[in-house]
Amino acid sequence: MNAQRMFRLLCRGTLLFIFASGLFAGAFTHYSYTHQFRDIPNTAPSAAHWLGTDALGRDLFTRIVYGTRVSLLLAPAAALLATIIAAILGGIAGLRGGWLEKIILATADLSMSLPLLFVLIALRALLPLDVSPILSVVATFVVLGLLGWPASLRVVWAASRNLRDSDHVLLAQALGYRRSQMLFRQVIPCLRPIFLAQFWISIPIFILTEATLSMLGLGVMEPLPSWGNLLRGSEDFSAMAANPWRLVPLVVLVLTVICFQFIFPGSEELA
Amino acid sequence: MRLTREVFCCIAAMTHWTLKLAQKLLLLTSLAIVGALLCATMVRFAPGYGVDERELDPRLSQASRNAIRSQHQLGGRLFSYYGAYISGLLHGNLGTSAFLQRPVAGLLKERAPFTARAVFLGLATAWMAASLLSLLTIRWQNWALEYSATAVTGLLIALPTAVVALLCLYLRAPVFLGIAAITLPKLFRYQHNILAQAYARPFVLAARARGVSRNRILFRHVIPVAWHPLVALVGVSASMALGAAIPLEALSDSPGMGQLAWQAALNRDLPLLTSITLLVTLLTVGVNFLAATPQERSL
Repeated sequence: MNAQRMFRLLCRGTLLFIFASGLFAGAFTHYSYTHQFRDIPNTAPSAAHWLGTDALGRDLFTRIVYGTRVSLLLAPAAALLATIIAAILGGIAGLRGGWLEKIILATADLSMSLPLLFVLIALRALLPLDVSPILSVVATFVVLGLLGWPASLRVVWAASRNLRDSDHVLLAQALGYRRSQMLFRQVIPCLRPIFLAQFWISIPIFILTEATLSMLGLGVMEPLPSWGNLLRGSEDFSAMAANPWRLVPLVVLVLTVICFQFIFPGSEELA
Repeated sequence: MRLTREVFCCIAAMTHWTLKLAQKLLLLTSLAIVGALLCATMVRFAPGYGVDERELDPRLSQASRNAIRSQHQLGGRLFSYYGAYISGLLHGNLGTSAFLQRPVAGLLKERAPFTARAVFLGLATAWMAASLLSLLTIRWQNWALEYSATAVTGLLIALPTAVVALLCLYLRAPVFLGIAAITLPKLFRYQHNILAQAYARPFVLAARARGVSRNRILFRHVIPVAWHPLVALVGVSASMALGAAIPLEALSDSPGMGQLAWQAALNRDLPLLTSITLLVTLLTVGVNFLAATPQERSL
């Protein structure tokens, strides 16, 4: 087994462990993420509180583990939504062509001409800020999913346009396949690797965007933890220097995004 | 006779190209205006729109309060707002900011140079660093260099924009360095892939087999092939840099367009947000268009 495959397996293992810790958060900690230990705010790591407590006396390790659940379960959900939109619109544009293709591509161009973060900040700021934490999570990730499709659409559109002119699709047309048969037997199986690639590529992008939005106060609302809102206090540099363990959410986030970059073989390896 | 035919062909080609250019420019301008008006629609239907805290001031008379309300009612009729905005736009009037109580054109004129300078310097730094790094990795084909470059850019790409902004603030680094740090890893990956694909072409292999020096292969065979996709990257990188400027300027309190956009979004400032969106869209589509033109002409 060469070094690259070993590294890839290590990344997959790390991601699996982080996912599992978020999913089975209750098995890793017996505290609640909202419980306040009022007599020990800002305490250092100890046997009772592995990563200490925050300014409100909440156990930081517990908040990171539950924050993992929020970030790592909803980012794939947003990625799935974006991929489905891209698959439907890109597929229609590529396979149908004509004026519908032009309209869909112009819409994608319009969406791509605006920086994603700019639109996200504008749109999220326009939604009510005094919503319940659960609703803020849903709003953040639905907005991410609804706005994150144009780049994937271009890829799906290019692939489905090539597919429209391919020999096996022409043969299927000549054999009199119905549209649904063509779609489910010829088109979707060929485009499945592209959908999967777009889905996996979108996840780290959404994790990072959520972190930025939450750090700006427009993402997941307190007391629900997410990696982004756990980093909200990091602009207080003196507190961070005195309590460096508060940077653990950033380390977990960076580690996760790095692992996502290496879980699939590179093009050179595939070749 | 032959000369006349050539002149005629040349004129026909030029007319065709000018018409295509005009059509494209019209489409891009329409896209930008539609983007700005969509943004205005979002603001209009946002919760909290039309609420003015000045109405709570007990010193104001009923007439003043009515005047404030009527100001907001102008934006309340969305289609009349669209018409008034486009008509004002044609006369060079972008309206008055509801939040800052100043003409939008003046605000944009005041803030745009800060962002333009930061984006330009950030892009220039990122392009220089990414080009140098990708050229070095392609030229030497050394695994240590390749892995080091991948590790550094992989780490930078894994940092949220807001964390980079805080790092800039902590290190007292200018905003353009933050933009460069955010744009560099993505640019390096694109550039490296484009150059690696060009390096894997059969004629490069033939040149290598004939013993042509690596520098000559790079500058005579690889870069000319990769040139057009690399130029097209300028548009993508400009969009990335503009996107990065907003949180960077908002968090580091830099008096640029990013901070203005941030304030406009939070204060539901319809004229200001519409004009910023229009400007950002025009800039992005304009740069994308300029970057894509040489590629289209070569096809």
